[in-house]
Amino acid sequence: MSPAPPIPATESVDLLVVGAGAAGSVVAASAARQGKQVLVLEAGPPRELSDLISSQIWARRLKWSGGPVEEDGNLKVGHNFNAGWGTGGSALHQYAVWPRLHAGDFKLHSNHGRGLDWPLSYDDLRPWYDKIQAEVGLSGDAAAEKWRPPGDAYPLPALPVFRQGEVIARGFAERGLGTAPIPLAITSQAFKGRPPCLFDGWCDAGCPIGALANPLVTYLAWARGAGAQVRNHATVARVLHDAAGRRVTGVVYFDEQGERHEVRARAVVLAAFAVQTARLLLASTSERYPAGLANRNDLVGRYLMTHPANSVYGLFLDETEPHFGPTGGQLICQDHYDDKSAVKGAFGSYQWLIANAMKPNDLVGIANTRPDIYGSELAPFMQRAARHMGNMVCVGEDIARPENRVTLTARRDRFGVPLALASHSVTAETDAMARQAVAEGLAIFKAAGATEAWAGPRFGMHIMGGTVMGEDPAHSVVDSYGRCHDLDNLYVAGSGVFASSGAVNPTFTIHALARRTAEHLLQAL
Amino acid sequence: MAYSRRDVLQGGGILLSCVVAGQSLWLTPRAAHAAQVPYRVLTADEVATVQGLAEALVPGAREAGIAQYLDKQLARAGEGDSLLMLKYLGVDPGDYVGFYRASLASAATAAQNRHGKPWPELNARQAAAVLAAMAADEVPDWSGPPASFAFFVLRADAADVVYGTTQGFERLGVPYMPHLAPAEPW
Repeated sequence: MSPAPPIPATESVDLLVVGAGAAGSVVAASAARQGKQVLVLEAGPPRELSDLISSQIWARRLKWSGGPVEEDGNLKVGHNFNAGWGTGGSALHQYAVWPRLHAGDFKLHSNHGRGLDWPLSYDDLRPWYDKIQAEVGLSGDAAAEKWRPPGDAYPLPALPVFRQGEVIARGFAERGLGTAPIPLAITSQAFKGRPPCLFDGWCDAGCPIGALANPLVTYLAWARGAGAQVRNHATVARVLHDAAGRRVTGVVYFDEQGERHEVRARAVVLAAFAVQTARLLLASTSERYPAGLANRNDLVGRYLMTHPANSVYGLFLDETEPHFGPTGGQLICQDHYDDKSAVKGAFGSYQWLIANAMKPNDLVGIANTRPDIYGSELAPFMQRAARHMGNMVCVGEDIARPENRVTLTARRDRFGVPLALASHSVTAETDAMARQAVAEGLAIFKAAGATEAWAGPRFGMHIMGGTVMGEDPAHSVVDSYGRCHDLDNLYVAGSGVFASSGAVNPTFTIHALARRTAEHLLQAL
Repeated sequence: MAYSRRDVLQGGGILLSCVVAGQSLWLTPRAAHAAQVPYRVLTADEVATVQGLAEALVPGAREAGIAQYLDKQLARAGEGDSLLMLKYLGVDPGDYVGFYRASLASAATAAQNRHGKPWPELNARQAAAVLAAMAADEVPDWSGPPASFAFFVLRADAADVVYGTTQGFERLGVPYMPHLAPAEPW
């Protein structure tokens, strides 16, 4: 493999990628390794491992700080918390929980008459999951995950379970439920030059040692090593197309000083995360496409999804050492995942992520688990909770519905691009599923010996959809490879193409799909 | 008095990087206040209100530098990379200053209306009564962001400065275990 030649001053490249997060990095690495000239435009600032300061306060720099996103609906997608800002995108502050979607998640409409079907099956995606986990180095115990779809065993053994995990696992066992180590994109042993995890619980602030597989130590590093360029503070304002409207020709972007630039490309991949990718397509209007690119059927922005999530907290007599271990948790339970209609009136899968590392402050820190405690009562609570708290989070399934969508507002960013409104609500069936899960969680904590147990408010975890994939151009934006139905060389990578949410963290699937997209587009590049 | 970065990391109190008379110094929040390190956004009344209110929410917040923290972040609110938790909560960055200004003004008015005193002069029982009303959205004539939302945000800010630093962890007996320790608390 020889590094790609430098990009000439004419600013014409083989492949232009919008967004330096997980999906964009995977595509860029594949293309650069084949000697293609690759340019990645990233709206946020550069990030290096040395920027990943161990502090929940400083960690907020890694979250979205671009054009403001308005939100409404009965379950907001939580854009600013879920989205990243800068090189690495949200994958820089991801928790590295990497379970696979289940086979049934791909056939939701066929099997249940709800939501959408994917244009590919689990069996189609399985080889790409296997390929990614071998490249990244997942840690886990495949045999212990009795619910796991078929796949290669993990390349690394599971991370250890600490006191918090042991204590809460008692409750699952008491109620006849199984647990297994979470499959994590975190090294339990040295792997490809990356050191093993130290279990310090700072995943959310970014992992500067590279034990957690963020793009700076995986695909983006490999892309750069093969000659790909990353240009920061480069806000893409529109995608350009040819006169026939069948091919894109490049993009317009603005630099930090507000200067306009144009880059031509043989292919363009939009990997700017679900909301911003939809926003960019909608904003790329032309005479040929007055409603935006890839939007002939008014589908761009629709089917926006977020996992309805609830945390359950408890205080135990045991010492739980809640500050230890991965932020994403130590154990997972997907019992009953495949029975989406288990409870009358409710619908959807869910999983439990158990024993997440907790720090004292921040939105998901110890202090904010009980906002009703303040004044002189707070310090005793904090002292007790810092040693005896346990927690877990239920990740529930959302249903893709057309009314949940990204639209443009009348407001514009400093480059003149309309801002996004993300509207999202859950149905009564989803609400019932989430309520039932919370009740189960509280019962599990009581069974584990919690002296007090309570649930936090529901929140939107992860963002998916908005540019969904499908077989029929009348009902989807892209095909199974992420290629826009309307434009031969415009691709979308990332969670925006998901046709269903399942109830698992999306980052592994994002990587697998992006790897598949890259292999496909490179055949024609 | 100047401190090295090592002092900052090992010291028993929070130290802030301040510029006094053209000199860059490491000062505790109290020393910074005494040295009249100027606030760039918050007014004197707002400083007094936020210190009294935050102290009532999370004891230790005044000494930990709640006013300096908010002032520093609000001064750079339009620059991106904000460290305020508010960025997660659906408030437009262009409205951050307005959010705090309106919240603190309403809170100050609530203290005056209920007890005839500003926040720094409220005793614990009086402060708790105003806070309880804020948490329940039961403050007459409150304007600006909902009182309960302001309560939540200000409480979280106070928890940040009291418990979210190396000293805060130490206070709880929680090992900080940094990969990269913060050179400054915020």
